[in-house]
Amino acid sequence: MKRMLSTLVIVLVVALMVLPQVPATAQQKVQITLWHMEQPPHRVERIQTLIDEFNAANPDIEVKQEPQNWGEIYTKAPAAVAAGNAPELLFAIPDFTPILKDLGTVLPVEDFVAELDAAHKFYPAAVAQYTYEGHTWAVPLYNMAHSLWYRKSVFEAAGVEVPTTWDEWLAVTEKLTTGEQYGIGLPANKNLYTDQTVYDLMINAGADEIYNPDGSLRFNNPQTVEAYDMYSKLYKFSPPDSPNWAWGEAEACFANRSCASILQFTVITTYDTQAEGDPADLGVAPIPYKEGVENPGTIAYVNAVMILTDDPAKVEAAKKFISFILEPENYGRFLNMEPGLFLPVTEDGAVAESFWNDPLVVKYKEQVEIMVKNSTGGRLFGFTGGNTFPSIAAISAQNLLAQTLQMIVIDGMSPADAVAEGQRLMEEAIED
Amino acid sequence: MRNTTPHTARARLWANFRSEWLSINTLMGYAFVLPLLLWLAATILYPLLVSIQISVQNIKFIGTPGEYVGLDNYQRVLSSPYFHAALKNSAIWVVANALVQTVLAFAAALILKQQFVGNRIARIWIILSWVVPTVVVVIIWRWLLSASGGIVNYSLQALGIIDKPMGFFSTGNTAFISVILINSWRWFPFNAVILLAALQRIPAELYEAAAVDGANVVQKFRFITLPSLQPVLFVMGLIGTLLSFNVFDVIWLLTGGGPSRATTTLPVLIYDTAFKKYRLSQAAAMSVLTGIILLVFAALFIRFLSPASEDSDER
Repeated sequence: MKRMLSTLVIVLVVALMVLPQVPATAQQKVQITLWHMEQPPHRVERIQTLIDEFNAANPDIEVKQEPQNWGEIYTKAPAAVAAGNAPELLFAIPDFTPILKDLGTVLPVEDFVAELDAAHKFYPAAVAQYTYEGHTWAVPLYNMAHSLWYRKSVFEAAGVEVPTTWDEWLAVTEKLTTGEQYGIGLPANKNLYTDQTVYDLMINAGADEIYNPDGSLRFNNPQTVEAYDMYSKLYKFSPPDSPNWAWGEAEACFANRSCASILQFTVITTYDTQAEGDPADLGVAPIPYKEGVENPGTIAYVNAVMILTDDPAKVEAAKKFISFILEPENYGRFLNMEPGLFLPVTEDGAVAESFWNDPLVVKYKEQVEIMVKNSTGGRLFGFTGGNTFPSIAAISAQNLLAQTLQMIVIDGMSPADAVAEGQRLMEEAIED
Repeated sequence: MRNTTPHTARARLWANFRSEWLSINTLMGYAFVLPLLLWLAATILYPLLVSIQISVQNIKFIGTPGEYVGLDNYQRVLSSPYFHAALKNSAIWVVANALVQTVLAFAAALILKQQFVGNRIARIWIILSWVVPTVVVVIIWRWLLSASGGIVNYSLQALGIIDKPMGFFSTGNTAFISVILINSWRWFPFNAVILLAALQRIPAELYEAAAVDGANVVQKFRFITLPSLQPVLFVMGLIGTLLSFNVFDVIWLLTGGGPSRATTTLPVLIYDTAFKKYRLSQAAAMSVLTGIILLVFAALFIRFLSPASEDSDER
């Protein structure tokens, strides 16, 4: 009995000495939670692969992902910040960042971006979308840019060349519109897709600036009116249900050959899996511009990651993870979580073997090269020429570019009147 | 006559109170109801009070602080043309849905009441559209009505009714009609099943007696079927209207309230104001006003359209 008791005491003493070590070891790990909006399972899986590799290489850090969706994040993230349970890392698009920045939770990262720039060389346009009020608010991660997608054989059959100017574009689109085929698929829904396609035309009309340098709006100008006028002319050659379109309908219209061309970030996956999948017939080109416009281009969304903590250990761990993602051997795999859609924002990323050796990228190399080229000169409404003001978030969230278009193509207003009303709505949206 | 002193009157009052309010049966009844009352207080009363509180502040984003602004939001909402337009759309939405669903439900219930081969399968089959999740219904109809490859446009063209595909959601009127029909298609089976159950409870003897008296089909419907269904129709009318008024998902997923706000009803406007415009307090004011409108509607509906109860008949 005595021996049993002494054995028990020894076991307890050893247990007391060992047990506290277990949580202590766990506590030593810096926990980083990443919220992103790349919900499709294959994207989540690819991100998890990279996280697992990072966690294995950094035993003192534990990164975990919690996929969110774009529909909810605009309300969920501020609520999480208010409740004190925001993630340490949160993916962003340019017009989402000001919302969290205004809550005072986003860590300025200009020094960190400068370090990364020295190592990887960011495209300046990528950093510009997150730099305002004296700071850079997020680290650019990947780009998405619109292009004009078409079928080469359809253009050849119609005897038309790929248009480069607006006059050519209108003529080609009209010629491509036949009984069962629409020359172009252009949305007119009040959503982000329409905002994007409208802005494509605004850029190419020389109306890419929404703000004056003093922060006042300059949306109502002759160039913007010209852009809307051109859109409404092209829209006549678009399917009649396009007022209800999102990205999926446009891709489907292109895939089933009802639309001879569309403006889209990419059609590669849909074209490869649901259409012919013949890379030799898939055409991609820069968006045509109005004659005389000096700086034509396309809309480009640089996606980035914000750091939402000021805990030094967590900040350090978060930076380490971001650096890991941007390393060329990892970066290509990160971008190819959706091959042919996500484009590099760094110069060494653009030539990384890990990017170009994905089977789908290999197959559509010619198209991806043109996409990358288009993306480097991309712009985003409200984030151009250094005239960036956080109030763009309110304009963007209400899809006022698209609403202005609906006034023309649905309500029958003149482009000039609609643009004037659009500016009034924007002023109303940004008032305090 | 017995003399009653104030003391004995008080004692009697207390005794009555005890026997009525403090009896075991009464207390047991309250004990059973209490959890439900607490649940309702937590899920309806508390959010309602919070909504009222938010509606008198100037909060933009959820979770951010605001300042007291009195009735400013109510003033702004009541003078907003968008609110008036949405209220009008909601009224059209409710009436149109009620009409279409009632007609379809009646027709379906009367058909299903007949004995025919496959009747049991038909009764199960008809509720399929109600069982399918809203998002699936929306996707199905969007593709059916698509102008590029949709079967509806293809069929209409093949039949020579239209010469080129039409956009069902392209103009305000066609979009509103399309959404109403899709929502009615989704909900009429539910009403049909309720009506069918009520129809089956009408004694066959009543119809036999009416036939003996020489009543025709219309008279049987007018004087037997309709009065017998009145309690069911009353409940369907009240609950159906309230549910229909609050429909958000079908409209939002099909049209997002467009094109050009043509299908923006009050629930859509409230969502849009709170989560697209980031004017949470204004949206809360709209919610409170909507709640009041529905409360007044329910009170008037019960006051004027409630079927005479058996008690009042006896009196």
